[in-house]
Amino acid sequence: MTSTQVSEETNRQALERTWASPRGLLGWLSMATHQAIGRRYIFTAFFFLLVGGVEALMMRMQLAKPDNTFLGPARYNQIFTMHGTTMMFLFAVPVMEGMAIYLVPLMVGTRNVAFPRLNAFGYWMYLFGGIFLYAMAFTAAAPDAGWFAYPPLAGPQFSPGKGVDTWAQMITYTEISALCVAVELIATILRMRVPGMALNRIPLYCWSMLIQSFMVVFAMPAVMVASTVMLLNDRTIGTHFVNPWEGGDPLLYQHVFRFFGHPEVYIIFIPALGFVSSILEVNSRRPIFGYPAVVLSQVATGFIAFGLWVHHMFATGLPQIGEAYFTAASMMIAVTSGIQIFCWLATLWSGRLRMTSAMYFVFGFVFIFVLGGMTGVMLASIPLDLQSHDTYFVVAHFHYVLIGGALFPLFGAFHHWFPKITGRMLNERMGKISFWLLFIGFNVTFFPMHILGLNGMTRRIYTYPAELGWGDANLIATCGAFVIAVGGLVFIANAAATLRRPADAEADPWNGSTLEWATSSPPPPYNFAYPPVVSSLTPMWTDPQLRTVVTGMNTDRREVLITGVTEGEPQFRTVLPGPSIWPFISALGIGIGFAGSVFAFSWYFVASALGTIGMVGWFWPRSSGRLKS
Amino acid sequence: MTPARTLDVSGLPDYEISSRAPLWLGQLLMACIEGSLFCALIAMYFYLRLSIDIWPPSGIEPPRLTMPSLALIPLILSAAGSYVASEGAKQNNTRKMVVGLAANVLLALFFLALRFLEWRTFNFTWQTDIHGTLVWTILFLHTFDVIADLLMTVILISIIAFGKHGPQQRLGVHVDSVVWYFLVLIWIPLYVTIYWGPHLVGSR
Repeated sequence: MTSTQVSEETNRQALERTWASPRGLLGWLSMATHQAIGRRYIFTAFFFLLVGGVEALMMRMQLAKPDNTFLGPARYNQIFTMHGTTMMFLFAVPVMEGMAIYLVPLMVGTRNVAFPRLNAFGYWMYLFGGIFLYAMAFTAAAPDAGWFAYPPLAGPQFSPGKGVDTWAQMITYTEISALCVAVELIATILRMRVPGMALNRIPLYCWSMLIQSFMVVFAMPAVMVASTVMLLNDRTIGTHFVNPWEGGDPLLYQHVFRFFGHPEVYIIFIPALGFVSSILEVNSRRPIFGYPAVVLSQVATGFIAFGLWVHHMFATGLPQIGEAYFTAASMMIAVTSGIQIFCWLATLWSGRLRMTSAMYFVFGFVFIFVLGGMTGVMLASIPLDLQSHDTYFVVAHFHYVLIGGALFPLFGAFHHWFPKITGRMLNERMGKISFWLLFIGFNVTFFPMHILGLNGMTRRIYTYPAELGWGDANLIATCGAFVIAVGGLVFIANAAATLRRPADAEADPWNGSTLEWATSSPPPPYNFAYPPVVSSLTPMWTDPQLRTVVTGMNTDRREVLITGVTEGEPQFRTVLPGPSIWPFISALGIGIGFAGSVFAFSWYFVASALGTIGMVGWFWPRSSGRLKS
Repeated sequence: MTPARTLDVSGLPDYEISSRAPLWLGQLLMACIEGSLFCALIAMYFYLRLSIDIWPPSGIEPPRLTMPSLALIPLILSAAGSYVASEGAKQNNTRKMVVGLAANVLLALFFLALRFLEWRTFNFTWQTDIHGTLVWTILFLHTFDVIADLLMTVILISIIAFGKHGPQQRLGVHVDSVVWYFLVLIWIPLYVTIYWGPHLVGSR
């Protein structure tokens, strides 16, 4: 061995020791590496996807034929509420956050997210929120007022019991989690990129997560105001936010909720755009066409998304002049999405395509999302919206944009980065079979809903009489739902079978363009033995002779490099905190208090007290791993 | 294998106590989150206020102006304590940190004492009507944040007083000032809303 090799080996061993996670149950609960937390988010979110999927199948079985009695009206209300709530709050947002927690530090070439313990805390809050919702639902307090719980239906008068309170407080858990992730992703992307990664060299996926995180910061507080401050307090301590008899206004709840609710759609969708850009770039084997246009149109989407919320409220009788503005904004956002679609088409046109299963999902996304976008432009028009409001036309529209716009790219991303995360290559054939099943099943399920909606079938009805003639289309939709289920099973079987095989993935199986492919699959806990220096947008495609790495980092503590926001020039080094049990304890204490607050307001003080104890333990300085003044 | 070209960063500082630290940015974002929440409450106040002719409803006294206006003085002064402490953190001056944080806590407690005295003069609760709901919600949430930050500040003081602080805790003192400036600054529009709101918009 030469002396360079010896020093490299020593460097690697020192990093292994420093970044190792503690063992045992306590160690497992203390872990704070972004890989571990990211995997937990993804796994938990996919579990909730299955649960939400089973709920969807139950609804489809009830609607398969007229006058069906599979589910009663009360149970049906609970099931559609739990389906929407699970999919939005326990699956869609957390899975996007989980993918980002895993991928962003690798793509920007650092060793962990900026706040590793906050990251662990956020995961536990999310998990406890999910457990809280389902524990309450199974003990006779299932929410049943829809996933957005509009008063007066969700108010104390018309929804007695603890179901809506449970829903409202579950929001608090999951939003705290999403806000923690947003803060740490922004700090990671802005301050911890490798040297040379100026703003114009940030991978598109990281741009999309940066924009999404800023949207989370400004949108998520609104939903906590709506659900926890307005709705829950009205229900538990007698405030009057939505009580019209004492000056409150149920419509205000809709405004505040939708001020979150519309950006929420883009909070789910913008990360998916990042997936699409990454997958297309690698599999077209050329840099993405129109990088500045794609970034700027995503930024514009982020802004315009905050000016759309009233298009959910066209049927509430607001002044026409105000509604017209929201129509214009709703149509404008199609322009920014359109720019991106054309940039991708140009990339495909001029690239050398490789049709991996991830690419299949991207093509599926383009097809389905464009259809969903077109019904979106239609719904932006007030006269049409008034006719189709609360019908299956809307149900079809938002499943086309959410499943087409977020789930298909997510499945593509899953196939694309599975080797990186697990070290194993998914079976491409099985991947393509699951794509076709999901794609066909999706369209068979949701396309007939457009027609059902135009024929007057309203959403959230548990059954319908045979004379209305909706039976055939509903039966087709139900058949489609089972095809989706089979597609999902093939997908799970593929992942499960692959995980049982020995590791076979190379560091860079797709000849990728960005830095996550520069390290082994799966990456070591410190990600990079020597963080790279980049000089282009596609650092893995630059001449290996020209590659540069960072040296001189201490390996006996969890050190990372801090770089400038715009140019990515190295500024100083800093030490990240290591594993700790306290984020878990803090989340548990706060979680217990929040759960109690559904029954009595005083439990907030329990949450505060337990949270304070947890955070004192969290912040109290320890001698190990400390910097000396 | 290490490529031939390397960028040696061993000469860079080990840490920095300034606005360039990621923690500072993180704290600023936390302030944005809290700020959005309070902005939503201000918007709600005026949305509901404009839909009602008599505000507050008859029989309800609007909150009096004297005490909360006087309370602004210790609150704004307490930010100076935060400033001294954060300068002390940058200079690694333990005395400055302890004195600054202690001044911050004492002045803030004085502010809170005035606030609690003032609450006793209200002739409405959050259950009275929508005006009461809004005033009490804003006051509760701001008070809750103030108390939470004061607790953290007291913990910081004890860490420093025990001599257990390193650069990370000094950075903690520095970013704690960001939180405090935010809580002081956001109180000004909130104060204007709940105390001047009944007089500024519309007439009784």
